[in-house]
Amino acid sequence: MSDIIRRDPRAEWIARNRLHPLHAEMAAPVAETRGPSGLIRKNPHAVGFIGPNGIKRIDRMGGNSAAVGMRRGAKSAQQVELPLHKVESPDFYVVAVVDMVGGRLTGHDKDVLGQAHKLIRGAEGNGAVMAVVFGEHKEEAFDKAGVDRLLHLTGSEFDGYCPEQKVANLVEIEKQYQPRYWLFPDSINGGNELGCRLAARLGERPATQAWQVDRETSVCRGSGGLQDITRATPRLLLLAEECADQIDETRHEVLAVELDTRPSIINRLQDCGQVAVDPNSVSLAEAEFILSAGNGIRDWEQFHKAAEVLGATEGASRVAVDDGYMPRFRQVGATGTWVTARVYVAVGISGAVQHMQGIGQCDKVVAVNTDAGCDMVKRADLSVIGDSQKVLEQLIELARDYRQGGAENAA
Amino acid sequence: MILDWLLPVLLLSVLALALAGAVRRVSLWRAGQPSPVNIISGLMAMPRRYLVDLHHVVERDKYMSNTHVATAGGFVLSLVLILLVHLFGIESKLLAWALLASSVLMFVGATFVYKRRKNPPSRLSKGPWMRLPKSLLVFSATFFIITLPAAGILPEGFGGWVLALILAAGVVWGLGEMVFGMTWGGPMKHAFAGALHLAFHRRPERFGGGRSTGLKPVDLDAPVLGVQKPTDFKWNQLLGFDACVQCGKCEAMCPAFAAGQPLNPKKLIQDMVIGLAGGTDAKFAGSPYPGIELGNAKGGPDSTITEGLVNPDTLWSCTTCRACVEECPMMIEHVDAIVDMRRFLTLEKGNTPGKGAEVLDNLIATDNPNGFEPGSRMNWAADQNLKVMSEVKEADVLFWVSDGAFDMRSQRILRAFVKLLKAANVDFAVLGDEERDSGDVARRLGDDATFQSLAKRNVAVMNQYRFKRIVTTDPHAFHVLKNEYGDFGGHYEVLHHTTFINELVKEGRIQLGAHKGGTVTYHDPCYLGRYNGEYESPRELLAALGIQVAEMERSGFRSRCCGGGGGAPITDIPGERRIADMRMEDANATGAELVAVGCQQCTAMLEGVVEPRPEVKDIAELVADVLVESAEPASRKRDELAVEVA
Amino acid sequence: MQPELNIVALVSVGQHPKSGRARRAEQDARAVELGLRLSGEKVQVLHAGDVAEESLRSYAGMGLKQLRVLQQSAGADASLALGDYLSEHQPDIVLTGVRAESGESSGMTPYLLAEKLGWPLVTRIADIAKIENGEAEILQALPRGQRRAIKVRLPFVASVDNAAEAPRQSAYGPGRRAQLEPLPWVEAADEVRASFDEAPARKRPKRLKMVKAKTAAERFKAATAKSQGGGGRIMKDEPPREQAQAIFDLLLEEGVLR
Ligand SMILES: Cc1cc2nc3c(=O)[nH]c(=O)nc-3n(C[C@H](O)[C@H](O)[C@H](O)COP(=O)(O)OP(=O)(O)OC[C@H]3O[C@@H](n4cnc5c(N)ncnc54)[C@H](O)[C@@H]3O)c2cc1C
Ligand code: SF4
Ligand code: SF4
Repeated sequence: MSDIIRRDPRAEWIARNRLHPLHAEMAAPVAETRGPSGLIRKNPHAVGFIGPNGIKRIDRMGGNSAAVGMRRGAKSAQQVELPLHKVESPDFYVVAVVDMVGGRLTGHDKDVLGQAHKLIRGAEGNGAVMAVVFGEHKEEAFDKAGVDRLLHLTGSEFDGYCPEQKVANLVEIEKQYQPRYWLFPDSINGGNELGCRLAARLGERPATQAWQVDRETSVCRGSGGLQDITRATPRLLLLAEECADQIDETRHEVLAVELDTRPSIINRLQDCGQVAVDPNSVSLAEAEFILSAGNGIRDWEQFHKAAEVLGATEGASRVAVDDGYMPRFRQVGATGTWVTARVYVAVGISGAVQHMQGIGQCDKVVAVNTDAGCDMVKRADLSVIGDSQKVLEQLIELARDYRQGGAENAA
Repeated sequence: MILDWLLPVLLLSVLALALAGAVRRVSLWRAGQPSPVNIISGLMAMPRRYLVDLHHVVERDKYMSNTHVATAGGFVLSLVLILLVHLFGIESKLLAWALLASSVLMFVGATFVYKRRKNPPSRLSKGPWMRLPKSLLVFSATFFIITLPAAGILPEGFGGWVLALILAAGVVWGLGEMVFGMTWGGPMKHAFAGALHLAFHRRPERFGGGRSTGLKPVDLDAPVLGVQKPTDFKWNQLLGFDACVQCGKCEAMCPAFAAGQPLNPKKLIQDMVIGLAGGTDAKFAGSPYPGIELGNAKGGPDSTITEGLVNPDTLWSCTTCRACVEECPMMIEHVDAIVDMRRFLTLEKGNTPGKGAEVLDNLIATDNPNGFEPGSRMNWAADQNLKVMSEVKEADVLFWVSDGAFDMRSQRILRAFVKLLKAANVDFAVLGDEERDSGDVARRLGDDATFQSLAKRNVAVMNQYRFKRIVTTDPHAFHVLKNEYGDFGGHYEVLHHTTFINELVKEGRIQLGAHKGGTVTYHDPCYLGRYNGEYESPRELLAALGIQVAEMERSGFRSRCCGGGGGAPITDIPGERRIADMRMEDANATGAELVAVGCQQCTAMLEGVVEPRPEVKDIAELVADVLVESAEPASRKRDELAVEVA
Repeated sequence: MQPELNIVALVSVGQHPKSGRARRAEQDARAVELGLRLSGEKVQVLHAGDVAEESLRSYAGMGLKQLRVLQQSAGADASLALGDYLSEHQPDIVLTGVRAESGESSGMTPYLLAEKLGWPLVTRIADIAKIENGEAEILQALPRGQRRAIKVRLPFVASVDNAAEAPRQSAYGPGRRAQLEPLPWVEAADEVRASFDEAPARKRPKRLKMVKAKTAAERFKAATAKSQGGGGRIMKDEPPREQAQAIFDLLLEEGVLR
């Protein structure tokens, strides 16, 4: 990459134009600041800028000529800050109630925020995207996801499962802000439920599984996904994944906004907590991660151990079941269970059609097999050719290390 | 002399008792459902059915056949003569001598029975059946001795009191077993019930060399669908159960029994007898259902069979391979009974085990057992350029593709067959997306409602078009189209692809090279062989490829099922072994490197056996492999091209 | 089993995902199954629509003596009719599916009913563990086989998830003989729905992982990166440790290690 210093006329222009929304960013660091003691401090490094031929020049124009006017090609590219999108005194809000799985925005949440901006873009008046977040979170990049305003509702009342509590608050938001649109991710992580509850409460008819939305019309999946329904865009939308592009070229203010009245309600649903589910008692059909054993397993103790330390649900080929090593309800395949795991690890399974029928819907298949030519290897995303016993042994060790000796301590 | 007056008295009272027994037995059968039979012509045909058709089956075991002729013939003759000589007192030396002769004949037969019973194979029932040879001997010996004076060989009153008493006891034993037992219920019941069973058989077409294998349709408006209790069977089915001689030939042939699944066709028939008469199986003296102890089953004419008498798993273990029916000397119809009871479980109880419910739901919703999109039935042939009936309306041959269209392995068979059809320039077309599952599996799983719905729609589609014959690579569809669609207005000439290809070869319409490779054995699919009697065409075709088939011990009409029929892979009742594994062992025993089959289901089952094992190929694939593509169609193509260019 | 428990299961006409043929809806059938297990044959099964609809028989075939139908024409709003009926009859538990397989499939019915009746709604339940002293202990289905325990007082509405026990097989005979009892009902036309434009679903293109290459280097990397889809990776001669590591990395990346 060349290190030739280039001028960026647009950046220079923004830096000069104090009315430009991105002016603050593009302007050079201020050379004079008032220090903590009240004294005026000069920052000698911030004075002036590097000229086109690499020589430092002093700026006599009061900071209105920009050092950022120059960019250092590749090396400085990472540090380029995205332009800040500002909304001052918004005329209307588009509210997105985000899922925040694990305290962070999900991809789906970001899609919804992208959609929110899409609904504002080109509309009359100043619209701002308000994200509603319940309870504690760990998200640090609301700005990059397109959150203009953040309504963060905290308090112990949002601990655990409390859809009724949340909806009561959403109703208050409705009263206070009268959002132009309500957007929810149509997800099983709470978005769908809250959206539907609010819709029922407000008497709105939501668009559900909406995947192509503009201000006039929405296209929604209907009939269990068999049909597309095109309809006038309602006020409340439950959005499908990838409904709109995520925000990736601007930063946003993330200004905190408040809710004036916090409703108090009695929860009729009493959350008694998540039930501890042993991965091995999860039904095969629902399991997310399956370690499956076939005729190529010799050491069954080791196999069970591996499933345990990896936290995988056990599966089996019919031969393993017929030979009595695994119970019948563990059989995967045509005459067993059809599984939908995200990861399916087939250890010593050749991949007969009847077995393959059962794993058609798995996302990632890993094969451990001595025979590189077997059908399972053809299907697998990752194949390891080798003796199952050795590979499992290593896998067990890795899992133990990963759990930081948890297994040893437990023993 | 006491015997002079005692004998007629005994004879008379035993006859009276036998009559009472007969009345009782007949009333038990009559509790069944009506089934129209022609009584007169049935009775008239009975001797012929016994002497020809039944003996045709018994003859497979020469020893038993001769023994039975001697014993049974001797007994019948003796009994008639006893009545004449000892009851009606006809004094004729000739008759007496004849009686002596017939009792000797019977005695000789009985000794052979006795010998067989000395060390009986496990398939034979013990219990009262072990007594029978002794009863036979006692009967024949007693009447031999009693008749000696009448024949003038010994003086009247010889032997004195002691002998007279012994003889009287012998008479009581002999007559009790042989005459009273015949109707009241004992081993000899088979003679009485068997004779009537032959006369009033529900499938009279089977006699005289015919074949009747299609299942009979259910009346879907009946108050109870299928057989819930013994009296829901047709009366002549009940009669048939009573004819069983517990010879266990069916048991010896049954693949499910051999695999340790809880089915034994002999026990099943005996359980039906328990059901029709009431009682428990505590006295059953044969092999139990594998894994199920004797003594706990109880039933009665009006109690639900599957609650207490027969475990539903027993019914679901059957592959409907008909090996039992083929083997049964009494021509009992096990498969009919099993499917009748399954019908109740599926249509009334909604209790089809394993993947059964799912398969049936799929058949209802998508017309194929795996729930594939009905509109994707022709995807396999995207590159085959096949004529579709809905466009051409008419063709010589309708190629019934079957659900193999959805299965990658079966598609190889379909493509091979299409290649042959094209090479022979056969004018053929397919139904394309208008084809539906034939209904075979639905029907064997007891869901006659779905079967009938599929059948009616298939018939309606086919009847729109004109074709001379139907050819299919699937023996199950073949059987159903040929033998079971008639009840729904579909009468077709249907051929299995092996038959059809064989015809093409014989007519010289395709040229074949020779097969290369090691030993080949051939597995007869049940639905081709036993159901439809096609044993020769596949073998002729293999011979035409230069293959000398290394026959398995069980082949032809005795072929062992692959385990794939009757929905058995779907219900998947656990056993100790897999039927397919046993079949593969049969094949291995011939040293074959390749198993030729004529069925995609057999292919799937046999290929499901863990390697190493012989390769499995459909005959269509074998033929297509050595097809010599004749120059003629190619040159014609060139001509067409030339025309186009010109 | 509670003797006086009054359970209503609401059923709709399902649609097979491949053939589009009418059938019993999977979740609704699970609702009926749950109802049958809780209160046996006494469970009331209710449909708003056409009594002549054949697929209703497949619910009946689960062992129902009778099935009630609020007679409605095709374009009517079912949730209104159901709401009226339920407010009138006041059952203890109303069970529905999560989302219908035909029509709008919005999944709003249970919410609207709960709102109208003023009852709590428990969503996506897998089972009702027990009902005691007017309080039900419910297992809610969470993604990937997880469960949450919830307590709620009767009466309530619950939507039944696919994780609930699979419905029993529908038997043809009883299905035929069951009585489908039509109740004439005031129907409200669904005008919003009437304005919908329905067409077979278009394929949605999967969003490509857009690499917004800011630099030529990034663009180069994006262009030369091995594509994810093309065949699996095969590790043949690496030592077991390395092979296991590759598997382990994949597990981590997919986030299945907990
Ligand atoms: C009607 C029907 C239904 C069926 N339904 C099912 C079903 O539902 N589910 C099912 O699974 N099967 C089913 N089968 C059986 C199926 O056809 C196969 O027989 C079975 O899946 C094979 O199991 P497998 O892969 O464990 O055994 P094998 O085919 O014997 O494969 C063992 C594999 O392990 C490898 N191997 C051996 N030693 C080692 C080692 N030390 N380390 C690593 N790898 C090793 C071998 O290379 C081989 O690939 C069905 C069959 C039929 C006919
Ligand atoms: S049909 Fe075959 S599997 Fe069924 S009982 Fe007879 S022999 Fe056994
Ligand atoms: S059913 Fe037939 S083959 Fe079986 S034991 Fe009875 S008579 Fe013999």
